[in-house]
Amino acid sequence: MYSIVKTAIVRGMDSVFVGVEADVSEGLPVFEMVGFLSSEVKEAKERVRTALRNSGYRLPVKRITINLSPAGVRKTGSGFDLPIAIAVLAALGEVPQENLRDSLVLGEIGLQGNVSPIRGVLPIVASAAGEGIKRCIIPLENIEEAKLIPGMEIWGISHISQGVDYLKGRKYKETRQGKKEREKPRVCPLDFAEINGQKSAKRACEAAVAGMHNMLMIGPPGSGKTMLAKRIPGILPPMTEKEQLELSKIYSVCGLLPKEGGLIRERPFRSPHHTVSPAGLTGGGGIPKPGEISLAHRGVLFLDELPEFKKTTLEILRQPMEERQIQLVRQWGNFCYPADFMLVAAMNPCKCGYYPDRNRCSCTEESIRRYLNRISMPLLDRIDICVETFQIPYEDLVSCGENEPSEKIRDRIRAAWERQKTRFQGTDICYNSRIPAGDIEKYCNLREEQKKYMEKIYASLNLSARGYHKILKTARTIADLENSEEILQRHLNEAVCYRGLDKKYWG
Amino acid sequence: MEEELKYRYWIKSVPGIGNKKQKKLVEYCGSAKEVYRLTEKQLLSVQGIGKRDAAQIIDSKKNWILEKEAELLTKKGIRMVSMEEESFPEKLLNIPGGPYAIFYKGNLPEPKKTGAIVGARSCSAYGKTMALNLGQCLAGEGIQVVSGMAAGIDSFGHWGAIKGGGKTFAVLGCGVDVCYPRGALELYERILEKGGIISEYLPGTVPAPGRFPMRNRLISAFSDFVVVVEAKEKSGSLITAEFALEQGRDIYAVPGRLDDMLSRGCNRLISEGAGIILSPEEFLLDLGFSGGSGKTGSQNEKMVLEKEELLVYSCFGLHAKTIEELVLHTGLSAGVVADLLVKLMMKGIVEEEFKNRYRKV
Repeated sequence: MYSIVKTAIVRGMDSVFVGVEADVSEGLPVFEMVGFLSSEVKEAKERVRTALRNSGYRLPVKRITINLSPAGVRKTGSGFDLPIAIAVLAALGEVPQENLRDSLVLGEIGLQGNVSPIRGVLPIVASAAGEGIKRCIIPLENIEEAKLIPGMEIWGISHISQGVDYLKGRKYKETRQGKKEREKPRVCPLDFAEINGQKSAKRACEAAVAGMHNMLMIGPPGSGKTMLAKRIPGILPPMTEKEQLELSKIYSVCGLLPKEGGLIRERPFRSPHHTVSPAGLTGGGGIPKPGEISLAHRGVLFLDELPEFKKTTLEILRQPMEERQIQLVRQWGNFCYPADFMLVAAMNPCKCGYYPDRNRCSCTEESIRRYLNRISMPLLDRIDICVETFQIPYEDLVSCGENEPSEKIRDRIRAAWERQKTRFQGTDICYNSRIPAGDIEKYCNLREEQKKYMEKIYASLNLSARGYHKILKTARTIADLENSEEILQRHLNEAVCYRGLDKKYWG
Repeated sequence: MEEELKYRYWIKSVPGIGNKKQKKLVEYCGSAKEVYRLTEKQLLSVQGIGKRDAAQIIDSKKNWILEKEAELLTKKGIRMVSMEEESFPEKLLNIPGGPYAIFYKGNLPEPKKTGAIVGARSCSAYGKTMALNLGQCLAGEGIQVVSGMAAGIDSFGHWGAIKGGGKTFAVLGCGVDVCYPRGALELYERILEKGGIISEYLPGTVPAPGRFPMRNRLISAFSDFVVVVEAKEKSGSLITAEFALEQGRDIYAVPGRLDDMLSRGCNRLISEGAGIILSPEEFLLDLGFSGGSGKTGSQNEKMVLEKEELLVYSCFGLHAKTIEELVLHTGLSAGVVADLLVKLMMKGIVEEEFKNRYRKV
């Protein structure tokens, strides 16, 4: 007898639908599997055979052939166990074929027939509707993420026999009452109000977030760079439903969705250690998994001790920072993961960390230059805002007056984002930092006197064309923070103050 | 190249024969050509020339083709001048252990007022400004500036002189055709425009630690006075000062704060009797110049500033202030201070010496 069961695997963020065909016919008793299988899929043979026997199904003394089609796509992952088992049972007549026609089956099974969770359920279920599938049979533990897709019938099962029962016609009843997800109040325990002083750095953080500008903080050790960076997620406005779903898909592919279910609602803050490999940052592997830059999608990627990162690792960031996604080309095809993040980097000014305080720093000009040269110009070019953090004397540390809470800063940023949304309506630009060079004139229009003023600044600061554009974009954001449609001189001035790193300072 | 000069170049090139022996040999024979003709036996009869020296001298003739070497030198644009010649700098004749001959590219300093600006390689922004200012002021009065082209104070001294439109000379601890430090190539070329690069070492000599103190004695020898801008308590600049003392040159030092490591050496020099530099203008007066060409700060004070600009500007003292300190002291918001700072920068009365660190010009 012959049967077919639908299943799918994730490729990047997309799903590839796979048909699992089973045929039971006369011949020598073998269990054979074909269809371009990776080793973990080949192992499914033993798992399925043992699990079926242990669940009380007898395999006949016949030739069982399994084919996974299309044969040209390499099959990887552990999600094929359950569909193979169901296909065999359907071929044996244990399960009616007609119920399988509009169902999608996913899951790994153990030797006892128990069903274990797999990765990437969310993106698969999300794209299943488009394939005319009405019902998804998935591991019970993945049910919370699958239920995020409206209009899809989801059966969560914990054992093969349950799946067989439901397919035979028993009414589906969820065995585990999934915890009702409550609208939790935003918990962001880190608040800018906890930082005394550092007013200029805080202001720069605000401006950076308001336009999603990449940012670099320079300062001696212990001057609060990391402290500031960790508080940035607290001033990011919340994500929209669409963004949450998009981000959750990435986390689902990595198996990082929270156990209690629900979408990822907080903007991510990723801070990989500087020993991270290029593949760890961008995503990698034969069948690449998303890397840190994709996990930081719609949020913050914080690179502490920037010059300590391997040069090759850093240079890899250049293209995704431009394109807001990463294309990974492998033997098995192209994989595209979104990577629209805000880069926040921190570094010391020199190896010992105290330059230009010559009482504490005795680095030679040469060693300082070498330290800085670890970060290439093309990368620095992509950073709009650069500030220095300073060590604050004790008196200022204790008596600084009221500090503004993150809540208030976030409100201002949200208003600035609203302004940008209206401005960029109908385009694919979202923030000021993303304005392409060709549209600068259009969106950052200056009045005659301002233009003259910028000419003066351009000449006296020895700016490059790119540096000039960066100042305009930052000034646009600062004007937005003030709710001003026009870019005024004071906005330009402040932007000049935060302009990117100038190598002239280093000897 | 003149015939005799070629032989002098050869003497200079003999390894192991220092300035003293070079001088002695030429004095003994009357000319370098005669030295070339001496046999080993004759050489041994010269006082102070040992067996090994004689062997070295004889040996060196083998690999030294007079014509070719001289041609090569000219091709590189390098000139040599020895103490027998008229054009040999007089100041070098009278110092103990002076060189027999020196190599140079560009020009040699003229026999007029010359000053050296020396100091630490890893200098502070304060030292940088001082070196630049002094270099510029001296050059403005037509005083030639000599230094060692090292990173830090030395280079800024040169740059100041170039900015002031004057002549500046670099004495190197390596061959004149070797640019050391390598990053100073731009400076190397700018110095050559009006001044010169000088060294007592053969062209092609690589820099080595032992050569720099020797180089320092030439720096002080070339000058009438030596200014130490910034120096730690153990510093090569203090070696220069010692040579200067030995050679009877005046020593000046730029004072600094007591807790500043980089000013310790300078402050000590002052306590030991070196001249103190209170301002470039006063310094020029002290040297017997009017100091009129140096710019003064008074014109800045007259500039009209807005109230808030004045509030920020009044916070500045001698040393740089960070944007954070300015926010704290003025009580204004960070955004406003940033705006005001750039305004002051555009007026040219404040400059950014390091990322977000500002200083009065």
